[in-house]
Amino acid sequence: MPSELTLSVNGGKQVVSVAPETPLLFVLRNELKLTGPRLGCGMAQCGACSVLLDGEEIRACVTPVSYAVGKQVTTIEGLPATWAAAKGLHSADAAKTLHPVQQAWIDEQVPQCGYCQSGMMIAAVELLAKNPNPTVAQIKDAFTNKAPSPHLCRCGTYAAIIDAVQRAAKSMNGGKE
Amino acid sequence: MTAKTENGNDSTITTTLTRRGFVKIGGALFVSIYIPAGIPAKAAESQASPLANQLDPARLASWLEIRSDNTILVRTGQAETGTGMSAFYAQMIAEELNVRPETITLILGDTDKTPDGGFSAGFQYAVLKFRKVAAYTYQALLGLAATRLGVPIASLTVTDGVVSGGGKTISYAQLVEGQQLDLKISVTGEALRIDPSVGWGVAGLFGLSVTGEPPMKPVSQYKVIGTSYPVPGIPDKVTGRTQWSSDVTLPGMLHARMVRPATLGSTLISVGALDKKQFPTAEVVSKSNLVAVVSPHEWEAISAARAVAATTKWTDWAGLPGSENLTKTFRAYQWGSPTESRGKAAEVTAALASAPRTISATYELPYVRHAPIGLFLAVADVRSDGTVTVWTHSSQSQGLRARIAYMLSLPIEKVIVRWLEHSGQYGRTTYGGDGAEADAVILSQLTGKPVRVQWTLQEDLAWSTVSPAWVSDIKAAVNAKGHITALHSASYSPHQFDARLLGAILAGLPCTPSKPGGWVATEWPYDKIQNRLEDAYGMPNLGAESASGGLRGNIMRTPGQRQQNFTLEGLMNEGAALAGADPIQFRMDHTTDQRLVDILSATAKAAAWDSRPSPHPNARKTGSASATGRGMSIIVRQNAYWVGIAEVVVVPSTGALRVTKFTIGADCGKIINPRQLDLCMKSGVVMGLSEALKEEVTFDKSKVTSTNWSRYKILTMEETPEIKVVRISRDDQGFGGGSEAANAVGPPAVAAAFFDATGVHPRRLPLTPAHVTALLKG
Repeated sequence: MPSELTLSVNGGKQVVSVAPETPLLFVLRNELKLTGPRLGCGMAQCGACSVLLDGEEIRACVTPVSYAVGKQVTTIEGLPATWAAAKGLHSADAAKTLHPVQQAWIDEQVPQCGYCQSGMMIAAVELLAKNPNPTVAQIKDAFTNKAPSPHLCRCGTYAAIIDAVQRAAKSMNGGKE
Repeated sequence: MTAKTENGNDSTITTTLTRRGFVKIGGALFVSIYIPAGIPAKAAESQASPLANQLDPARLASWLEIRSDNTILVRTGQAETGTGMSAFYAQMIAEELNVRPETITLILGDTDKTPDGGFSAGFQYAVLKFRKVAAYTYQALLGLAATRLGVPIASLTVTDGVVSGGGKTISYAQLVEGQQLDLKISVTGEALRIDPSVGWGVAGLFGLSVTGEPPMKPVSQYKVIGTSYPVPGIPDKVTGRTQWSSDVTLPGMLHARMVRPATLGSTLISVGALDKKQFPTAEVVSKSNLVAVVSPHEWEAISAARAVAATTKWTDWAGLPGSENLTKTFRAYQWGSPTESRGKAAEVTAALASAPRTISATYELPYVRHAPIGLFLAVADVRSDGTVTVWTHSSQSQGLRARIAYMLSLPIEKVIVRWLEHSGQYGRTTYGGDGAEADAVILSQLTGKPVRVQWTLQEDLAWSTVSPAWVSDIKAAVNAKGHITALHSASYSPHQFDARLLGAILAGLPCTPSKPGGWVATEWPYDKIQNRLEDAYGMPNLGAESASGGLRGNIMRTPGQRQQNFTLEGLMNEGAALAGADPIQFRMDHTTDQRLVDILSATAKAAAWDSRPSPHPNARKTGSASATGRGMSIIVRQNAYWVGIAEVVVVPSTGALRVTKFTIGADCGKIINPRQLDLCMKSGVVMGLSEALKEEVTFDKSKVTSTNWSRYKILTMEETPEIKVVRISRDDQGFGGGSEAANAVGPPAVAAAFFDATGVHPRRLPLTPAHVTALLKG
């Protein structure tokens, strides 16, 4: 039976009326029209649906929406604002800003079909928050061995992702290696 | 105002330029199709037949519009499949028109908004066609400018869409301001339509071709081609603004989840009960063996479909051999004569009989599949007036349109297909088939509402089409110097062109035909081996007689060539070892093609290739210490030359095989976009290594069993080696296929590197730890 739930998504409050066991992904996509996170496997095996929950990457395809109540949900649509807030940018500048991870994804031309890349960028943001200057081995480890599953890309953009994560790291560290 | 350009044959009008009228605001030059006599533009008697499709110039949108706001609109029936095709279109058109590529906007794939069909084989069939459209348009613009400026065409120059001559300038925008101009360009070809006589069931795949030879810019003057112009859609994909096919919603739309048969051959006994208390707004919909649950709410559709599936009853069926018995099954099959044969049978037979030495080997490849991260989905709206609109990500919207019209026995004019981006398809929608579109159309017709069908991972990995398994026998005659003088290959494979719509099959609706058959796909790189014979044998799908058509075989990235090249390059590696020759030198000894020699040399140098015969002197097949090896392979395809060099580490005691470095070289003629080529080469390597090390569709006697990502394993980031790229661009060799075949060099190079490390030739993929362990125990 539907319940009224209040969610904090990309810095704003949203009230939705859904069954509490509904996976967060369907609420974001169908109720809130945030289509950045995407349905891949639907069973936490690929990472296409990843979003941040209080800064931690979770798989929205298997996370009940009720679990997100009281926590901050961030999708790729919300990354620019997160970065603008962290850097203390004024709203006029913030509107023109991309998160350095997104900018690096553009600069390195990472997406091919691009379907998995929303989840890849979320994983990169989480990694760089914990490790501002990861080595190639640490990037590979984060995208492969972290529970619940590897982040999969069928186009095979892994090399470009590694380059983009390192570029973003440099940008976030103010140009320092 | 009418201007005509006549070209060659006086009777062929290649372009005409006319003024339709004056307008108060705006203005544009519309470039569209003219269909000369002799092409069936409109066949009145076939108007109502779903088999028919017509080239109706009155209904075709323009190809290109030069607009008075300084923008250029381009319409093409092609799709962007993730390789960067949309950038290549912009670059090619910008080059011929002398404009900046940023001024070009593309409309892709919608059958009601774009004029031409043509499949996703992309650049060769699509962009090069557009190069001529742009070149004709440029000539027309020069003609207009010459009149306006009062100077001869020969004295005009154009920079960024501004024409200069006689000390005066005028922009393209000013040239079209206030008027509507029509440029018609003659085409040849046939409209896409259902055709039972071709293997994949549709004719007209190549779209329309532009006639005549307009003057085109010399390669030496290129400014845009050869630069790394960014792919236009990427910023929206990165920020979440892209509207993907998965994002389409319509008023009143129902979400559907399918309830698939228990086995590939099951038929429906009874549909399970739907608990309306638990799922108040869900409904069960079925037609023959097509069963679904629909609901206005996606989660309810998912939950209710699971509940209904648990109690839906299906007949038993067990008509598959089991994937572990594939080779035995293929060997037992009566293949009959080859469906395609190429080469010199008598000479090859004689050479093999008289050769001092011969090599014989059998190579095997398992069923693999396209396995995109984004699963099949579609939205359809079937209206009571008989019109059908389908939102798809199919890379062949015209073919899909023809197949849906055929399924519903509707005139093709009633069907509109709209294209949006989605996961890469890697070939599975190239013939316009497979997918969720038929499911959505049938469910929309049954419910009278728009319906969105989303497949599950289990469903996609069990019910989408597969790239069929192969067995190939190859035999070579070797002379006293160790060189190969003659070669006979025979490949055996189930159907690889089955693009029928699953929904149509399961619902018992008319299915477009398709004809099994083998196919000789290799483009021959070794011209010094003059006596060769290639035979290709075909058989129907495994389980073809079942209610679902069994394991429906379809093309997948570098189709046919990938499989046949694995055999040919395996043989070349075995030949080099037998001759005691370095594998790269051995290739060079069998070709006079300088492009192949050059890319072999350049790639070897970049990889610091250790020139010596394989196996390595320290090769081992036992022990827990690592053995290392390096190996290589090539492929020649679509005017492109590829070399792959793999470096591997094998731990014999565990069977663990790791690729530590991969160097890939390509000469694909003139490079359009170096960075995009690099990216496609690297990603192609990933797909090839994935096939070499991990991928296999497994099945038991009744169903596919590799139905999630822990059972159908693909390469991860950690397994991706350092990848080094080498490219040669040539100004005098035209344009070649610069992205697709990159996946084909991986598997034979890895197999060769494994042989170098262990002394054992792997002749079957994938090289999983279990397979490696068994190989080394020998």
